[in-house]
Amino acid sequence: MKNSIKVERAKKNITQAELAKMAKVSRQTINAMELGKYVPSTVLALRLASIFEVEVKDIFILEDNDWE
Amino acid sequence: MKLNYLFPHGYKKIGLMILIPSMIVGLIVVIYELEPEVFDLNVPAIFVNDFFGDNEFMGMTNNNILNEICGVLLIISLILVAFSKEKQEDELINKIRLDSLVWATYLNYGILLFAMIFVYEISFLWVMIFNMFTILLFFIIRFNWQVMKLNKELSYEE
Repeated sequence: MKNSIKVERAKKNITQAELAKMAKVSRQTINAMELGKYVPSTVLALRLASIFEVEVKDIFILEDNDWE
Repeated sequence: MKLNYLFPHGYKKIGLMILIPSMIVGLIVVIYELEPEVFDLNVPAIFVNDFFGDNEFMGMTNNNILNEICGVLLIISLILVAFSKEKQEDELINKIRLDSLVWATYLNYGILLFAMIFVYEISFLWVMIFNMFTILLFFIIRFNWQVMKLNKELSYEE
């Protein structure tokens, strides 16, 4: 699964640390998601969408291998 | 969702402060078979087994309680260190915690299985003694190593 957290963050001009605070997770978690190493829970995905004021599907994109 | 059976973050330090001395003392006690007389006490027991007598259910027995004290302190401190919350206990930490617990269980029982087949008698008793504590120890090592790795990956933002 791909995500555009880094892009959305740049648009809003907020740092990883600030986003982490807003989403109530650690900076490590934000970083792991941006690196594609961690897939967040539904709750966290919805929180991020709410912070960025977009839909979840605008941030997270399914890839072919997600069906395997 | 909020319930996670963990102790508050501060308990980790308390656990560590008990763990280190009790581990050192415990190892010395078990290796040198220390049994100072001060610790010889009559204690209540559920099963009393005499070498030459009958087995008794519920009674008193004489025992050197130093190794019991070490064991109790070790288990309590290991549990505190293993199951105290991190500074920020979020879902990624939760996942690492679960993964590490599975990993530690496999490793612990892997070693036990191996020892069960290839180690006998008194030597196996030694394996059993260490095996009482190693599952928590393996978990603590693996979990903290993974968290450290995560912190290292924290790339500096441009």
